[in-house]
Amino acid sequence: MADFLQLTFSGLTTGAAYALVALGFAIVFRGTRAINFAQGEYVMLAGVTAGALHAWAHPPLAVVVVAVVLLGALCGLATEVACARFLRRPDPHTLTLATIGLGVAIKAVVLLATDRKAYTLPGFSGEATVALGGAVLDAQALWNCALVALAAGALAAFLRHAPLGVALRASADDAEMAAASGFSRRGAAAWSFALAGALAAAAGAGLAAVSPVNYDFGTLLGLKGFAAAMLGGLGSMPGAVVGGFAIGLMEAWFAGYVSGTYADVVAFSVLLVVLFTRPTGLFAAVRVERV
Amino acid sequence: MQPGRFTPRRARALALLLVSATLALAACGSDDGGGAGASASGGAATSAGGGEPIKVGSLFSVTGPPAVVGDKMRKGLELAVEEINAAGGVDGRPLEVVFYDPAGDTAKAVDQTRRLISRDRVDVVVGGGSQSGIALAMEPLLQRADVLFMATEGAREIVQPAEERRTTFKSTFNDTVILQRTADFWRARGVRRVGFLPDTSGFGESAKAELERIAAASGLEVRSASFDPTATNLTPQLTKLRRGDPQAYVAWTTTPAATTFLENARQLGLGDGVLLGLGFGSADPAFYEQAGAAAKGALLSAGKLPIYDRLPDDDPQKAIIARFVEAYQARYDEPANVFAAQAYDGVKLVAEAIRAAGGDLSGRALAAALEGLGTYAGVNGDFRYTAEDHSGLGVDAVAISEWDGRRFVPARDGLAR
Repeated sequence: MADFLQLTFSGLTTGAAYALVALGFAIVFRGTRAINFAQGEYVMLAGVTAGALHAWAHPPLAVVVVAVVLLGALCGLATEVACARFLRRPDPHTLTLATIGLGVAIKAVVLLATDRKAYTLPGFSGEATVALGGAVLDAQALWNCALVALAAGALAAFLRHAPLGVALRASADDAEMAAASGFSRRGAAAWSFALAGALAAAAGAGLAAVSPVNYDFGTLLGLKGFAAAMLGGLGSMPGAVVGGFAIGLMEAWFAGYVSGTYADVVAFSVLLVVLFTRPTGLFAAVRVERV
Repeated sequence: MQPGRFTPRRARALALLLVSATLALAACGSDDGGGAGASASGGAATSAGGGEPIKVGSLFSVTGPPAVVGDKMRKGLELAVEEINAAGGVDGRPLEVVFYDPAGDTAKAVDQTRRLISRDRVDVVVGGGSQSGIALAMEPLLQRADVLFMATEGAREIVQPAEERRTTFKSTFNDTVILQRTADFWRARGVRRVGFLPDTSGFGESAKAELERIAAASGLEVRSASFDPTATNLTPQLTKLRRGDPQAYVAWTTTPAATTFLENARQLGLGDGVLLGLGFGSADPAFYEQAGAAAKGALLSAGKLPIYDRLPDDDPQKAIIARFVEAYQARYDEPANVFAAQAYDGVKLVAEAIRAAGGDLSGRALAAALEGLGTYAGVNGDFRYTAEDHSGLGVDAVAISEWDGRRFVPARDGLAR
């Protein structure tokens, strides 16, 4: 039983990271109908930057986190500029393709800039752990779960109630109509990429506090986050959270009870099953296409 | 639409161009350091005698996934070449390095190896791309061309079985030797049950098979749980192993997952009365430093380089390592490590063989010369190549060290007697 609890805790720790990445996929999809395959590399970039900043100047942790979140938002904006600036009509497919290229570029730049070093942050509340029912939970995992809840809640509320959020959804549904009402597609894309960048940065900082981060660690994370987003239903905020934790838990249980060697297969098997049986995922609303 | 503005079609074409440009740029970026075929003669080539240069082909991944290792190897190789050339070369002939960077890509490395053989016509090759898989792919090509191959990579399959690897040698530990020494250490410390965490790369898989073989022979009870090299959480694996109540845990990887292992193990409360250790793929202090307090008392199974200044004065290795470490520090202004030493030893060994072979640079002649060298005292230990053993280093070169919170020190029972 203690083992089960321990594996569950461990699944929540990784699941929180997947959920944050999945939320990034969700927001970009909501705003642009594109899939941002650079999302994992954003997380990596933020984690490495946070760790490097900490190692270089030792500022208070809160300063590091705020700084990388702002930087993440800027990177998101820069992505939008880089990918869409030259396009008169950036359709989702081109944008998706462009993010793949961008992801490769980010990884290469970080590799060269950091000399392939790994970076780490201290836990937000030190090296504290929480003991519960014979199992131990890294306090940082709680922070990361809180981060997920906060991000998902804020995003859902923003999309539902804030005028900008509503405009963003409207633009993704029907860009022409939204533009006619005074909200450009460019604006929608810029905002969603900025939000995705900020989310990724929060995830990066949270993860660097759990384990060391180097240039190589964003790619697999991004793909697993994508699997989580697909499982929950691409574009759904609750779906992203549930999908992220579900994949994290399944992986941990699989590694603990069956085999760690094939734990990575779990996320991608889930992705395949979802694609074959329920491509809209668990939470996606039925989309009515009017002809 | 205004004249001169992009049409959607042109815009799309431009987007595609942009993507491909980004990709190409990224590829170039990771190709930096000679992917295009930098041919650089050793720095001090001019000061060597006027003889015709001996061409040393070399592949190290100074970019790509194995870059941390490849960078150090390339520097170790350069240092050795410079030293040899400054001392007049080998029999009056300077060494000239032809270097390529396969960036961790085996297919690329195979092309580059063919180029070394047929276009650059190198005399010997030192360095197998900084990754065992690459060295294994290069081996048959070089053997067929009768070119001596000194690999600086770890996997024992590179030189085994020896009767099929006539002209291939390596200047590194076999994991067999490291694991054997570690098993001896466990016995000395009264450990019988071991939890082993190899990563799923070739490095980890090879060690897993080998430790299971050693365990059967030496009465150890070993349970293994593998993990992905980019894993950020090893708690599930540790939880699984914990059920067997091991007295020692060892993680076998070259990635930062080593740090995660130490942190997760301490979080689970392992480590009090239990030995935690890492294999020679994690011989970099950074892995321990980043684990903070969790690393204190953690062990390392590797060569003697990390603890050379704490070796007893009667250990002949002490002075040899000190000389290398100081020369490397002076040349590159960064600390040397075991990977740099592997490449350094590789070049020096090849130079010895060339001297002994008396002018015949064929792979077979140099192989015979290496097998006849007797004992060569290298930085990583005494090399004793024989027709059966093309890896050379023995258990006496392995040390178990302990991280005292700031640096490595010899562990109790850590040195072979």
